Amino acid sequence: MVEVEVHEHDIFPNVFLVKTRGQEKLATRNMVPGTSVYGEELVQHNDIEYRIWDPYRSKLAAAIKKGLHELPIKQGERILYLGAASGTTVSHVSDIAGNTGEVYAVEFSQRSMRDLIEKVCRNRSNVRPILADARVPAEYRLLVRIVDSVYSDVAQPNQANLFSDNADVYLKEKGRAIIVIKSRSIDVTQRPTDIFKKEIKILENCGFHVSEVIRLEPFDKDHAMITLGR
Amino acid sequence: MKSTLVITTVGIFALNSKGSIIERKFFSKDPKKAADRYRQLRKGEIVPELSQLLKELQKNNYDELLIEDRILASKISKIKDFNCKEFNESSVIQKFREKLDVTTVKLGRFSDRQDFQDFTSKVTLAIAEEAITSETQKKDLHAIQAIRTLDDLDKTLNLFSGRVREWYGLHFPELEKLVDKHETYARLVSDLGDRENYKIDKLESEGIPEQKVKLISEKAENSIGYSANSSDLETLQSLSKNTIQLFKLRNATEEFLEELMKKIAPNLTAILGPLMSARIISIAGSLERLAMMPSSTLQVLGAEKALFRSLKTGSRPPKHGIIFQHQALHTAPKWQRGKIARVLASKLSIAARIDSFGGEFIGDQLVEYIEKRILEIQKKYPSAPKVKKRYGRSRGSRT
Repeated sequence: MVEVEVHEHDIFPNVFLVKTRGQEKLATRNMVPGTSVYGEELVQHNDIEYRIWDPYRSKLAAAIKKGLHELPIKQGERILYLGAASGTTVSHVSDIAGNTGEVYAVEFSQRSMRDLIEKVCRNRSNVRPILADARVPAEYRLLVRIVDSVYSDVAQPNQANLFSDNADVYLKEKGRAIIVIKSRSIDVTQRPTDIFKKEIKILENCGFHVSEVIRLEPFDKDHAMITLGR
Repeated sequence: MKSTLVITTVGIFALNSKGSIIERKFFSKDPKKAADRYRQLRKGEIVPELSQLLKELQKNNYDELLIEDRILASKISKIKDFNCKEFNESSVIQKFREKLDVTTVKLGRFSDRQDFQDFTSKVTLAIAEEAITSETQKKDLHAIQAIRTLDDLDKTLNLFSGRVREWYGLHFPELEKLVDKHETYARLVSDLGDRENYKIDKLESEGIPEQKVKLISEKAENSIGYSANSSDLETLQSLSKNTIQLFKLRNATEEFLEELMKKIAPNLTAILGPLMSARIISIAGSLERLAMMPSSTLQVLGAEKALFRSLKTGSRPPKHGIIFQHQALHTAPKWQRGKIARVLASKLSIAARIDSFGGEFIGDQLVEYIEKRILEIQKKYPSAPKVKKRYGRSRGSRT
């Protein structure tokens, strides 16, 4: 048996640091013990199972590794997750939110949604899959309640506006949000830094206060994670 | 009197202007059935629960209704005595939705908040599953899979045919040059095996042309390859047999695809032919996405690498993507290709839109028009233009 040490993250409850073989890795408490969602490593410690959270696979983990100060996703809260894809990050968000939380996972691609349902939603009752176009928030207003935070990771040229439209409908007053900007899906010809500045400007014009901007190198190229609120 | 209709995953509610419930109709407690109702309502169907609710409202003299859904609003307005309008945001509805768990528990529909959550969670899952089922029924997805299968098969067949030739070449090297067609070669190996069996009658029954039969059997007698015993060739023959099967599968796939494309995209197929139409849909992602594209994008589909290089460095943009494979384009002289590509792309866009959103077959007219335009282009630009100084070649010169 390999020696394992587990600590809770200094500032983020429900996020853990697992130390094995001298390496420190991020992890979340596995809500469905015994199952690995996307092939991630499972670690046991004091009868609790943890899922290793790979920063190369999940941008949220990358942001935490790069020193994120504020994580709007908390236990027992409702989260609107735009661009759920196959559910890699969603599964960890679901771990953090726990049984009393709700994760509304919006994804447009039926192929990704198939994986999301099979791998994540079947086992996790706190994840609600929504096959819809995030550009039209009204499409799913019958399914989503007002949320405490929004996590937006859609590779769209107009992602700042898309996020703001969703926040207008679903984000509670004083709600917090995280948005991932992929500069290459906005314009391949411009410098990432310029694009991030421009996107932040758009968000500020929509009435948001940007509190943190984190570049995700070396985990993801030309990506930035922005935390913000009204 | 006025009333607001609220559709939720648990049922339909009619509220008065203060936001309290006047009437309610719950859906079934079976999540699948509730999801079904949701889907029907989104499509604008007046489901039994809704018509019951409307009857109750009629009795109580509510004739002015508000609902969030435009299609439903117009459907309800068609019913006698109702005037139904669509509206978008309202704090009444929002407040109601927020308190739905508390409200329904109070009404005794759910035992507690957890019960409500479990149920709505199951309904949401069922809705997503249902949506996927109906998505996967789209026929263009099948065409995309079929064309990709075809490409995979072609790759594999080349690989295996090459392997059969290499391996059998040890035993009968002369056959390599005598039989061009991979399929025929593989069949000879699998049926005849040892080169001693390459007798005239056997070759004839394999359908080899007369003048070749004699040549092959002569070469077989004087081959410089090693002499094999039957067990040596067994595995190789089995490989050949499987390769032949793959050839059959390839042809069947092609036939299937041709039939399918004529059905799902007749106009596109009329211009591009079934295989290329399927390929261009495959690159676009779906027929609908292809139809939504500007034709300038369609023109360079398949040349993304060149396109993005051009955007990044300012080098010259591509004139054509996959449509280059069209007869009219690759046989045309270089200086006419850009013009022809534009004509082709613009008509393909029209074809894709008709195919995607349902319309008549005008493929023949489109083809006719394209041919006419090409003749005009050929007449107008019969010879290569004088070489001008090339523009925008250096990196970063784009403004």
